[in-house]
Parts: sequence; structure tokens; C-alpha cells
Amino acid sequence: MVDIHHKNILQVEGLNVRYGNVQAVKDVSFYVQQGEIFGLLGPNGAGKTSTLSAIEGLTQQQSGTVTVAGYDTLKNPRFACAAMGVQLQSTSFQPELNVAEILELYASIYGLSLNRQQLQAMLKEINLSDAENKKFGQLSGGQQQRVSLAITTIHDPSLVLLDEPTSGLDPQSRRQLWSRIESIREKGNGVVLTTHSMEEAEAVCDRISIIDHGSIIATGTPQMLIDKHRNDPDVIAVSRRGKVTLEDVFIALTGSEIRA
Amino acid sequence: MSINITKTPTVLVALLKADFIVLWRNRRANMMSILMPLIIVFSWKGFIPQFGGAFVLANGITLGIIAIGLMGYANAVARDRDKGVFQRLRVSPLPLWTIMASRLLVQLSMILLLTIVVFIAGYQLDGILMPAAGYLVTFFVSLVGGALYLSLGQAIVGRVQTPETVSSTTRLIYLAFIMTGMLGQFDYFGIDFKKIVDWSPYGTVKTILAYSFEPSKWNLQATGALMLTMAYTIVFATLGIKWFRWSGK
Repeated sequence: MVDIHHKNILQVEGLNVRYGNVQAVKDVSFYVQQGEIFGLLGPNGAGKTSTLSAIEGLTQQQSGTVTVAGYDTLKNPRFACAAMGVQLQSTSFQPELNVAEILELYASIYGLSLNRQQLQAMLKEINLSDAENKKFGQLSGGQQQRVSLAITTIHDPSLVLLDEPTSGLDPQSRRQLWSRIESIREKGNGVVLTTHSMEEAEAVCDRISIIDHGSIIATGTPQMLIDKHRNDPDVIAVSRRGKVTLEDVFIALTGSEIRA
Repeated sequence: MSINITKTPTVLVALLKADFIVLWRNRRANMMSILMPLIIVFSWKGFIPQFGGAFVLANGITLGIIAIGLMGYANAVARDRDKGVFQRLRVSPLPLWTIMASRLLVQLSMILLLTIVVFIAGYQLDGILMPAAGYLVTFFVSLVGGALYLSLGQAIVGRVQTPETVSSTTRLIYLAFIMTGMLGQFDYFGIDFKKIVDWSPYGTVKTILAYSFEPSKWNLQATGALMLTMAYTIVFATLGIKWFRWSGK
């Protein structure tokens, strides 16, 4: 057991990730503070998921340091892991297990024991009281996301990493998820989320970084980035109806061409 | 604020519980691994006077072990890897070896169940009864033989990425073992082929199982087969661990 007194719950410095001949992440540095929602935005293949994977320990970093709640992810991977809650882009569980069994499994992995009442309270909190005995594969996309987020936060982690959490969700489910993400922040925990939705970034994130071709090209609050680039000719050229949005800034900085 | 790491035995018990539930929910598919040995025990009744009961039971258990190691274990690992089940577990604070250890322990328990079922069937259908020591040694030896085929399954799922290809590869190898192993031991393909079969993974496991039924008759050939079984296991396990990738993507 180690005490943690770190304002920066996540510190990434000079992170490099390489897959064969491809440099997926180039010298990326950023931090996330307690009680902050940090957005990592970028087009497809920009390096968002590779950056998260390196933080999570799923991808081997070429160089750089990642510190979670004061623990270096290379030197103390299990402690760093225990301080994190991770929702992967495509999460799956053994299809034979039902929702209650999945929650019990992950609670046990984090050293928690769920009694019947706690389990039902947890299911009620994610509006899945009637789905206790349903297999994960039988749930809708929104229900799966709620189960996945419940598991991500089951141990009240200091840092929550969400990789495109609202992808494929309807507006109602998306708004509900935003509320849940905000409630994580209210507890004083840090959140990193990747998203393609500029609306989501503006609505939820306290600070964002735009990443492209593996490098961070802009960082700030959504409003700060809009204000900073409002008069750039590229931004004016892509803006519609005379109002500059975060999406205009994003497209101007990352280019209009469609990525694979 | 403090960080606690769950004790490894607690994690292992949680994983075992989940993996046993999965095994139970797949009981129909798993019954197939037991059905084939039962067919052997039933249909080879006529061989008992010539080759002995131990020969028939050893062949039955060997086939069941191959099915569990190749089709049960390898296919389940390939499916879960493809679905991202392992990636989800990997971002949890558990020692990685516990994920595989749990799955292997579940499959080994399945092998013990198979052995018991074959014993019962051997007694009920063919009246085969062995000394008590024989049953005990056979339990141990079936686990040794099981380890060989689980390690072979690990090597296949390490080398081959997609679940579909793993499935077809394991079926092909299973069929090859049945055809060459069962027929080769009867001299159908000549004495040289029989020798190869005798010292193949099929032959060595069948040999140690056959001798384990009557421990008093254990000889140098059985010891050689045991050593070779363990050598195969080490080779396949080393390759399986070296080649294995946690993600199918």
C-alpha cells in the first residue's frame, strides 16, 4: 500500500510508439489533473488509440515515461494498472457469462466482494436491473457500454481511460454517458477520452489535445483553441455560416482529406 | 488515497470460477470430447482378448485428451483472443500468467473427468477392472498426457491467428492423429510406420497410459515414452509461449 498525493494523476512525457516501420506516436507529452476531463482528438490513424494503449500497457512504448497516480507504468505496472480504469474501443467478455457474473469477476479481480444488495444497486445505477441474467452479447450497444463503464469504474480508479466511449450510441445513451463521465470528474478522478465528436469534446472536456500523424499539434480548453485560431485563414475557409466551431479548428489543423 | 493489489490466489479463484461457468455452459460441445473415447471403449470390445483392456482404455483416453487439448482449449483461446476478452483482462491488475493458468486448470479438470468416465464405461461395458494403484497412476499420467496436448494447442493458437484457421488446423491435426495413431499401431502401414507412431505424441501418451493401468509392469519402454512425452510438452509449450499474441488484431 502506497500513499498518493499527486495533483497530476497522469503524466506522459516524450512518449514514442513504433509498429515496425511506422512511428505511430512521436514524442507525445501531456498531463491530466485530478478532477479533469481531458480529450484526445484526432482523425483516424492519428495515434489516439496507440497513445492510450501505451498508457494502458497493451502496447510497448519505444521511449518516454508514463506515470499514473505516481506509479511508472514500466516499473510498477500492476500498481499503475490498479489506479486506472480502462474502457477499450471494442470490449468483450466471455459470451457465456451473464452481466452479474461479469461484474462479480471484475470486482474480485480488484479485490472487492459484491454482495447481493451491492450487485443490485450497481445494476440499478446503470439501469440494468432486469438484465442481471442476460448474457453480454444479448445487450444493446448502449447497455453494453453501460456495463463496460461500470466495470471500468468498479474500483473507483484515480484515472479513467475511455477510448471512443460514445461511438455508435444514440443521443439519449450518449447524454447519459456524458453525465456518468462528469460524475467521475466530480469525485475528483481524472478522465482521458478519445473521440471523433467535436460536440462531445466541447460539451464534456475541460481540456483537449489534437493529435495528428502521431504528434500533438494543439492543446488547450475547447474555447481557448477556438479563440486562438478564430482568425486563421484555414479556419475561416472551412467554417460554415460564419460561426467558428471546434470542428472548424480541428479540420483546419488536421486537413480536409479523408483518412483511412 | 491508496492503491491495493489483489492477492494472486484471489484473482486465480475468480478467474477459475468464471472459466468453470463457461465450461459448464458449453457442456454440450464438451461432451463431444468424451463421446469419442466412449465410442472407442464400446466398439473395441473385440480387441480386449487380443490386446487387453488397458490397450482399449488407453486409446480411448488418448483420443479424448487430444480432443480437449486441441479443440477445447485452442479454439476457446482463439475465440476469446479475437473478441478482445484477453485485452480487457490485460488492462486489469492481474499477473498475466493467471489468465492462462486458470484456463489450463479447467481443461485439466476436464481431462480428469474424461478419465473417470472412461473408467466407468470400461467397467460397465467391457467389464475392465484394474488394481487401485492403476487408477491412481492413470489419473496422474492422464494429466501428463493432457499437458502435452494442451501445449500443442498453445503452439497452434500461437502460430495461427484467426479462430477459423485455428479451428480448421486443430480438426486437421486431430484427424491426422486418429488416422495415423489408431491405424499405425496395428501395423497397417508397415513396421517402420508403427515405430514412428509409437514414438509420436499419440504413441507416447497411449503407451504411458497403457502401462499406468498396471504399474507393476512399468518398464524401460514406458519410461522412455514418459520422458519423450515431457520433452514434447516442453518444446510445444516453449513455442506456444514464444509465438502467442494476446490480441488477434
